[in-house]
Amino acid sequence: MLTRRSVTTGASLVMVAGLLAIFLGALLFQPGLTYARDIKVGIIDCYSGPPAVYSKDALNGFKLALKEINKKGVLGKKITFTTRDTKFKVDLALSMAKQLVMREDVDVLAGIINSGAGLAVSEAVAKKEKVPLIVWIAKSERITGEKGHRYVFSTGENTAMAGKAGGVALSKRPYIKYWIAGDDYEYGHALAKAAWRNLKKLKPEVKLIGKSWWKPGEPDLIPYITSILAAKPDAVIFCTGGRSMTNIMKAIKATGMAKKVAIYIHTATDHAVLKPLGAEAPEGVMGTMDYHFYYPDTPENRAFVKAFRAAYGNPPGFPAFHGYITAKFIAKAFEKAGSLDKEKFIDAMEGLKISSPVGVIEMRACDHQAVLPMFFGITRKSPEYGFVISSDIVTLKGDEVMPTCEEIMQARKGK
Amino acid sequence: MKKIEFKITLILIALLSLIPLVLPRFYIYITATIFVTALLAMSLNLVVGHGGLYQFHHGVFYGVGAYVTALLILKAGMPFWAAFILAPIASTVTGFLIGWFCVRLSKLYYGMLQISLGSLIWAIAFRWYSLTGGDDGLHGVTIPDLISSTRNAYYFTFIVLLASLWILYAILRSPFGTTLQALRDNPERCEAIGINVRRHQLAAVVIATFFAGVAGALFVVIEQSVFPDLLFWVLSLEVFIMCLLGGWFTFAGPILGAAIMVSLRTFVGTYTEYWTLVLGIILILLIFFLPEGVMGFFLERLGKPRSRQNGNDKAGASVGSR
Amino acid sequence: MDGAQGITLAAVGSHFFVGLSRAMILFIVTSGLSFVLGILRVPNIAHGSLYMIGAFCAYTFNKLFGGGTMGFLAALLLAPLVVALVSLIAERALFCRLYEREHLMLLLFTFALMLILDDLVKMIWGADYRSVMAPEFLRGSVNLFGSSFPRYNLFLLVVGPLVAVALWLFTNKTKMGKIARAAAVDREMVGAVGINVSWVFAFAFVLGCYLAGLGGALVAPTISITLGMDHDIVIEAFLIVTIGGLGNMAGAMVGSLIFGITQSFGVLFWPQFAIVFPYLAVVIILIIRPTGLLKSVW
Repeated sequence: MLTRRSVTTGASLVMVAGLLAIFLGALLFQPGLTYARDIKVGIIDCYSGPPAVYSKDALNGFKLALKEINKKGVLGKKITFTTRDTKFKVDLALSMAKQLVMREDVDVLAGIINSGAGLAVSEAVAKKEKVPLIVWIAKSERITGEKGHRYVFSTGENTAMAGKAGGVALSKRPYIKYWIAGDDYEYGHALAKAAWRNLKKLKPEVKLIGKSWWKPGEPDLIPYITSILAAKPDAVIFCTGGRSMTNIMKAIKATGMAKKVAIYIHTATDHAVLKPLGAEAPEGVMGTMDYHFYYPDTPENRAFVKAFRAAYGNPPGFPAFHGYITAKFIAKAFEKAGSLDKEKFIDAMEGLKISSPVGVIEMRACDHQAVLPMFFGITRKSPEYGFVISSDIVTLKGDEVMPTCEEIMQARKGK
Repeated sequence: MKKIEFKITLILIALLSLIPLVLPRFYIYITATIFVTALLAMSLNLVVGHGGLYQFHHGVFYGVGAYVTALLILKAGMPFWAAFILAPIASTVTGFLIGWFCVRLSKLYYGMLQISLGSLIWAIAFRWYSLTGGDDGLHGVTIPDLISSTRNAYYFTFIVLLASLWILYAILRSPFGTTLQALRDNPERCEAIGINVRRHQLAAVVIATFFAGVAGALFVVIEQSVFPDLLFWVLSLEVFIMCLLGGWFTFAGPILGAAIMVSLRTFVGTYTEYWTLVLGIILILLIFFLPEGVMGFFLERLGKPRSRQNGNDKAGASVGSR
Repeated sequence: MDGAQGITLAAVGSHFFVGLSRAMILFIVTSGLSFVLGILRVPNIAHGSLYMIGAFCAYTFNKLFGGGTMGFLAALLLAPLVVALVSLIAERALFCRLYEREHLMLLLFTFALMLILDDLVKMIWGADYRSVMAPEFLRGSVNLFGSSFPRYNLFLLVVGPLVAVALWLFTNKTKMGKIARAAAVDREMVGAVGINVSWVFAFAFVLGCYLAGLGGALVAPTISITLGMDHDIVIEAFLIVTIGGLGNMAGAMVGSLIFGITQSFGVLFWPQFAIVFPYLAVVIILIIRPTGLLKSVW
């Protein structure tokens, strides 16, 4: 016996009511069709949860650029944007991206910090619905590499570039015995692979004596460090990101590791990582970044930092820089395309050059990856700022750290 | 099924099959998502609402269904249809293995053992980088053209959902279903009259996990992606909530619960980043004012004569689960 | 195997101690959960959120008192109290009205509480990463078996057993503790002798949450305090309680030790799948002893 035999009666009534509500809602809120409207950018990113620090920074950079752009307008229109929160969940990212494309009818999708979400949206929304997607923080090299296609772009540095930068910089140092450790997810592995491949190519005598991987966000990294130190490597490459960064920096400080071995971590010199640590940030750790608000000390960068500070109260981090150049790319590409046509926009994006706080940046035509320089530095306490910053900065030019177009095409064919 | 109920069901089916002709694409997609989620919640309710088991990590079987579909297509190069049939079978096997260990325990211990076994599967999927893509998951699963457009995917999930619901309904009305509910209400007495409690519970788990696997495969049809969140315990709890929200002593309650949850997070999530807060408050209101779920509440209003008898059923159930 | 060549006696020793100190944090958090579970028979899903609130409060108090030793002690003292206060409000305002209801409703309530608390934390503290510094005398590391071992972890090794002893004294030597234990075994009986069971429950709930907050405040200096830090701990705590025996304090200790040490050694022997080891240990224990290692209180 079923507990309730009148189930369907109730079910039906409720569902009919629900459906009617949806119908009405849909009819009422159906956004207007294409008449003289603004250029709409749909931003999907994680605005709640741990990575929100980065996504909000990126959005601020984007907004700052829009303020400048909308003074003149693009094609006689304004660029507007609407944001959707993904909560760092892939399924929500997909559903929100589809909502922006299908319901809000956006011209361009942008954002995404989460590589998994980036790849999913790139395949299931951008490629399928033929809408350009510009990923601005997610660092998986597969987004514009192996899994790249006509509709996806990236304005952030990716693991291949960061890894190559690390490899190039480390090859100039005397270390032979290396240990690689990091977060056990795409980002960590890709970074490790790229760094090691390039280091080995430039300096064949290096030896990898061990590897360790941990769960991203693992609270206690000290056991890993003790076992690494026990193996006595010359240098350690940590491939950590997000919230593990704070943990690993704290663990390095607590164990005094930086005094015993050389350490390289991509983004170790990032302001967003170093500032909250304050005096707990270890000194003497090598790191790479594609943007610092204090470097390069050019008039363009100073002007950008000044405007950003005035608007949001704090200096821009690397995501703000990515958001800023994304807006610049979008505006310039639409201008060049001369219409809101998505295919023309993509054609215009390919090979497009814009001026930015760190100089001219090109959107490489072959893989839709922005060519960004990398700044290699060492953490050191700064009397000027009162916390640890990157010092002894060496600039690695964009073409020096990017995988070549041939390598990219090889990876795409190989899949 | 009574005549009027039958008629209303038919009208409902007709209305739902008209949706793609009337509504904009996004709503078609969301309704399809609701169908998939509803099937998952329905399958869970078979063991929770009707079986009285603390199935705390049902999402794992959904995730296994989705992962197996994606893996068979992407890594083994199988055609979609073969994967679509094999995935629920894989879920069922997983369900049998996990269930076999779990049904020996009762109540909270059942739930806890299931969470740890489920977390083991999650941990493996999360870590087995070369196979599952780790935390990135697998994307761009190729779906046959026939069902890849939003509208066709809608119809496909709709048909599968209807077929599954029909089977679930038949199961619940069968002698097996009746026994299962008797087990929930009074396990001691059932055991005394010679019913093998564990075997019945295991069978229920196996059936439920099969449909969870079907839902997982359907998820891949709609999203073409799989990722470890599908196996994480938070999702399982959400599905559990859907059952309670809709009304876990009713047949169709979980469908309503799924519809409410999916709509909430899609539409409330658009306007505020604090949608979990909204959900939490709704849940608390529900606990205090609608303890039998939304569906239970409406049925009480509509079907007065029968509700009293059902009230007794429920009282029996709550005593049983204490 | 990767990293396996690095195994020396020193490494084994230091991993053992690191596992122990991790187990202490787990024990403090878990004992609270177990206490609530034993007396109220509710798996408090919001326990992790309260742990997170403890950590965030520790950050705030530490800052308020100007950091250093003073800030650290203030945080350790006040943060768990704030958590206890939050839980007292939730318990008296809402939760206590549900004790007579369907068991799953209590579970559902704690889930709703978790959702609400998580978003409240976001509203109050925002999404930024926070970091708390250990006081001067607990910074740096000492040499232990030829490898360096952080002082703060040594401190945890002292605090953990202290909390355990305090809990044992409380439940076995004080009147309130005895009543609570009796209520865990037979609540009708306790009610029959004229004790207000509702207040016993409130007390147990608040004490359990206090321990969650204490765990959060203690862990604060070793991690980055962020949203989402509750998700990992709550599931671990549940598993520990299950393998230890529901409501059994000694069981919580044994379970924490097993969990902490398998995790730590997993890292040493097979880093890539270290995450799997504790779960595997739980599965094996539950298959051999389905109701946990030690006697459950109910």
